[in-house]
Amino acid sequence: MKRRQFHRALDILFKGIGLLMTLLGLVVLLVLIADVFLDGFARLSWDFMTSFPSRRAGRAGIYAAWVGTVWIAVLTALLAFPIGVAAATYLEEYAHKNWLTDLIEINIANLAGVPSIIYGLLGLGVFVRWMDLDRSILAGGMTLALLVLPVVILASREALRTIPSSIREASYALGASKWETIRNQVLPAAMPGILTGSILAMSRAIGETAPLIIVGALTYVAFLPTSPISSEFPFFNSEGLFDPFSVLPIQIFNWVSRPQQAFAINAAAGIIVLLLITFVMNGIAVFLRHRFQKKIRW
Amino acid sequence: MNIAFKVENLNVFYGEKQALKTINVEIPEKSVTAIIGPSGCGKSTFLRCLNRMNELLPIFRMEGAIIYDKENIYAKKVDVIDVRRRIGMVFQKPNPFPKSIYDNVAYGLRIQGIKNRTRIDEIVEESLKKAAIWDEVKDRLNHSALALSGGQQQRLCIARALAVEPEVLLLDEPTSAIDPIATARIEELLRELEKSYTIVMVTHNMQQAARISAWTAYFLMGELIEFDDTTKIFTNPSDKRTEDYITGRFG
Repeated sequence: MKRRQFHRALDILFKGIGLLMTLLGLVVLLVLIADVFLDGFARLSWDFMTSFPSRRAGRAGIYAAWVGTVWIAVLTALLAFPIGVAAATYLEEYAHKNWLTDLIEINIANLAGVPSIIYGLLGLGVFVRWMDLDRSILAGGMTLALLVLPVVILASREALRTIPSSIREASYALGASKWETIRNQVLPAAMPGILTGSILAMSRAIGETAPLIIVGALTYVAFLPTSPISSEFPFFNSEGLFDPFSVLPIQIFNWVSRPQQAFAINAAAGIIVLLLITFVMNGIAVFLRHRFQKKIRW
Repeated sequence: MNIAFKVENLNVFYGEKQALKTINVEIPEKSVTAIIGPSGCGKSTFLRCLNRMNELLPIFRMEGAIIYDKENIYAKKVDVIDVRRRIGMVFQKPNPFPKSIYDNVAYGLRIQGIKNRTRIDEIVEESLKKAAIWDEVKDRLNHSALALSGGQQQRLCIARALAVEPEVLLLDEPTSAIDPIATARIEELLRELEKSYTIVMVTHNMQQAARISAWTAYFLMGELIEFDDTTKIFTNPSDKRTEDYITGRFG
């Protein structure tokens, strides 16, 4: 009887500790967000969103920074997602098990843990210098795409592995080719999982500062990249890819390191905008995931 | 009686292990052939040789020939996709795609490049009717196939296989994961389908083999022990080992 009481007490104790730890994480996060909102919310205005940086805190804004962040985020997603899913599909569905694929596998797992600043150096060496892209959005986006690629590949492989082989067999037995099976059955069924993993990877990319500083993102940008929408056919303009840029984390970092209190308030407002952009991007991904989940009817 | 499959000196290996040993048999068309035998005797392996599903395993290796429609289906010039379309398969565990009932049946047609909606609608309805499940699902074709019961899912899988208009239907223990009432429905269905399709069915259940098949093959440890008229196998088998098995002395 004593033993049983002891175990029950232990049970309750661990439940309590678990709850405490969960709350601790949440409370710290809430306090941080509340603090940022208290500092920066009043500073948010249309002017703040549409002004370029300035020496005077009251006139400074984040126009170039948030536009740069959106450019970089979209470009990173467009590059990393297709390449990552294609690589994962190859490794899971096509590649034969041998020492070469083992080597690739170990390398990808290791690359996912490489510090982001190393990717910055790689981007500087390959994209900025060797490919001569200069301090452009393209160089920055490609660097971040490299950074998130291993995570996208790992998450996609994990998602592909959860699709039972009976689904593949059913498709083959109807006379489907390998590609038809992957395209019509395996990938759609795995898509919610693939998107979830990619969302997490993208969120990481949006907050990155170090690799972009190395690639040469500017801290003071008083102009926007060339707009991607043009008024003439084909209504798309890629020149913006080759323009210099800044991003929100860099702008925030720059303001935080100034001594004046007013800049600290600017930084807080910038953080709110960065959080909002992250939420919006995650929201889009959750929406997409939901749509795919509705299409596949488990 | 016409022959659908002529199997000649078939040897199958999984890696080093030999799964089938020099099988020679002729399977008649437009009738049900049952394959019986204890677990691990190679009956599923044999079935999966008939539509080249075994090739999906990298360690699979075979010798010999399987002649179907005057052609060795393992010949180099034969397209495996064409073989699998003409020789359909239903698996042990119902495996509908995580899609709607309609899309499950339409899939095989779409990958053949049929785009005409009304044509697809027609074939979907016709296939579901042939598989005796139309009345149960006609009002919810857009619902998930996974919401159906196990027995319904299996009949859906049969409908899906029939939609691509195969000539042969291979069934790998199609009722082993299903309750007795659903099993009875599927058996009834197979008796109906026998009129227009060659059916080869692996079964664990000897009563089932006796009930619905015209021909029975008995496999033991990778060898074909006996192939004959089902009535003969179950009343007067030629081989002592067959008799031991059907009288329940082992297996």
